[in-house]
Amino acid sequence: MSKVVLLAEDDEDNRDLVQFVLMRSKMDIKLVLAENGEEAVELAKKHAPSLILMDMQMPVMDGWTAVPILKADEQTKDIPVIAFTAQTKAEDRARTQEIGCVEHYAKPMDPEELLTLIQKYLNKE
Amino acid sequence: MNPKAANTAKPAASAVTPKDKDAARQCLIRADKFLKDSDFENARQEVAKAQKLDPTNAYAYAFLDRIAYFEEQKKKSSPPEATKPAAPTAETPKAETSKPEVPKAAPAPPKAQPQPAKAAPPPRTEPPKPAPVPPPEKSTVPPTVKKPESPPAQQKPIEEKQVPQKPESAPQKEDQPVPPKPPVPKQKPDTMIEAARPVIAEVLASRMKNPPEGPKASPPGIAELLQEVSKEAQQHAPTVPRSDIDAKLEEMRRQIEMLTNALEQERRVREEMNQQKLKGAINQFRAALETAWKNGAPKDEENNRLKRMGLDLGIPEDVVHTVTREVKLDMYSKAVKEVVAKQKLIRNSSRTLEWLRNVYQVSLDEYLEYESKFLMDLVADQYKGTILLVAADEKISVETGQKLKSMGYAVVTATSPENALEKIEKINPHFILCDMEFPAGNLSGIKFLHVLRANSKFNYTPFILMCGAGDMSQLESSELRPTEGYIQKPFDIDALGAEMNKKLMAFRQYLSSI
Repeated sequence: MSKVVLLAEDDEDNRDLVQFVLMRSKMDIKLVLAENGEEAVELAKKHAPSLILMDMQMPVMDGWTAVPILKADEQTKDIPVIAFTAQTKAEDRARTQEIGCVEHYAKPMDPEELLTLIQKYLNKE
Repeated sequence: MNPKAANTAKPAASAVTPKDKDAARQCLIRADKFLKDSDFENARQEVAKAQKLDPTNAYAYAFLDRIAYFEEQKKKSSPPEATKPAAPTAETPKAETSKPEVPKAAPAPPKAQPQPAKAAPPPRTEPPKPAPVPPPEKSTVPPTVKKPESPPAQQKPIEEKQVPQKPESAPQKEDQPVPPKPPVPKQKPDTMIEAARPVIAEVLASRMKNPPEGPKASPPGIAELLQEVSKEAQQHAPTVPRSDIDAKLEEMRRQIEMLTNALEQERRVREEMNQQKLKGAINQFRAALETAWKNGAPKDEENNRLKRMGLDLGIPEDVVHTVTREVKLDMYSKAVKEVVAKQKLIRNSSRTLEWLRNVYQVSLDEYLEYESKFLMDLVADQYKGTILLVAADEKISVETGQKLKSMGYAVVTATSPENALEKIEKINPHFILCDMEFPAGNLSGIKFLHVLRANSKFNYTPFILMCGAGDMSQLESSELRPTEGYIQKPFDIDALGAEMNKKLMAFRQYLSSI
């Protein structure tokens, strides 16, 4: 059965690119897309994804807000969240870990690297 | 009719002017018209006029016979046989030329050749035939055979036949303005065909008499007719003149030619159909491949299924392979374009392209063959400068050239230092990359470098020599300027890039020092 990955990303090109890369992986993945943190929280509850890729800067509700909500919810607290962000400073990295993200992945992406990371967490499950 | 009249008239033949001849023909045409309308009296008058104008026109006599025949037919049966005689009108001139040969029942000329010239005095001893050769049936057909029964399609050829059978043939020849050249070789085929006509006509007649009594029976098939003709020929083998056999052969040859053409056409149609069928199969196969290859190389299992599918569709194995390769590269190029469009979101383009090559299982050869096409758009706005690449080895020239292009350089190649010297003024390269060795008679890479050093315009252009392991010690000990360098073959493109960057830096320093 395909594993569900939730991507919360407000930039359409980035969403398309992640989709492009995942479709070309040999992994059996179903990608669910959210355009902001609020939608992400909602869809996470609905689809119970195996992994969440969360952009930290989004309109409506950013990742900094959404991740703590997910971690506070019994239903979603165990879902690994990877911070998918252009913020690469050391303090940003530290902060993402503080709010419960398992990884900090800095954009722009490298397809192969991103796939390896995703695979790592899907295999853990 | 009165052949003697013709005979007596013969001496006057030379006195007949072409004008009279023509007028006589016109009379005959009019007579034919009257004959069609069953106006036999007027027809006769016209023929008489024709005879007067041109006593040598043998056809006039045949015409009188024909009038008599039609008149008789008319008396016998009321249905008008109108159209039969139509042929003569058009034939008149033609018939005259082909007439000379033939006589089947007559003594028969030695070789179907017209002998008008010598036939002068004793030409026709009118054969004892009672009914003077009806138009549609050929001469041998007894008068009882009703003309109307034969389908119109047959009438024409038969009609042509009967005319020559008349003994008038000889005088007819005289009708020709130039009597001395009857045995023109060109006439031979016609002659032979004419000679064959009686035999064919005989077969036709017997067919009409015996087997299919149906009055409007369809004309016999050509093959059938030929068969009968050949049977007939066999039966009369000893009596059939050689000219008849030749004519039959000629006729058969023509039939064979027709059949061959028909077969050839059929073959072409079938070939085209097969091609269409193959095209359809390939399109179907291609569609399946595109779905399978959309997101990269399918699994082996799927690949095998697709291959089987192609073969089952009747596509040859090599075509299956080629189409698969085409689809793969097509899908890969689409993916490359998508990535290139989102280049800013990607950390490292070349790594991403390498990943895509793996995803689509594109080999290095295929990459070299197609990559530059995909990347040209990408690098077009990243022009880094022009490189003059000098190498006798085409492989180096092509492979290195492609890689340099994908790095954003415009590359101009030269096959020798001499060739490079011819181009260098025009292209003003920013960088020169030159092989060390060239075939005998050419400058070596080092000598080329020395030539350039003596040129005030290019003496500081960054220059890298591509050398073999054996050249290393020589180059290490040589005194190269900071803008000059070397790289050992085979080299990695990144290593070359690094070396080039060093030389470009040195060149910048040189420029700033001026």
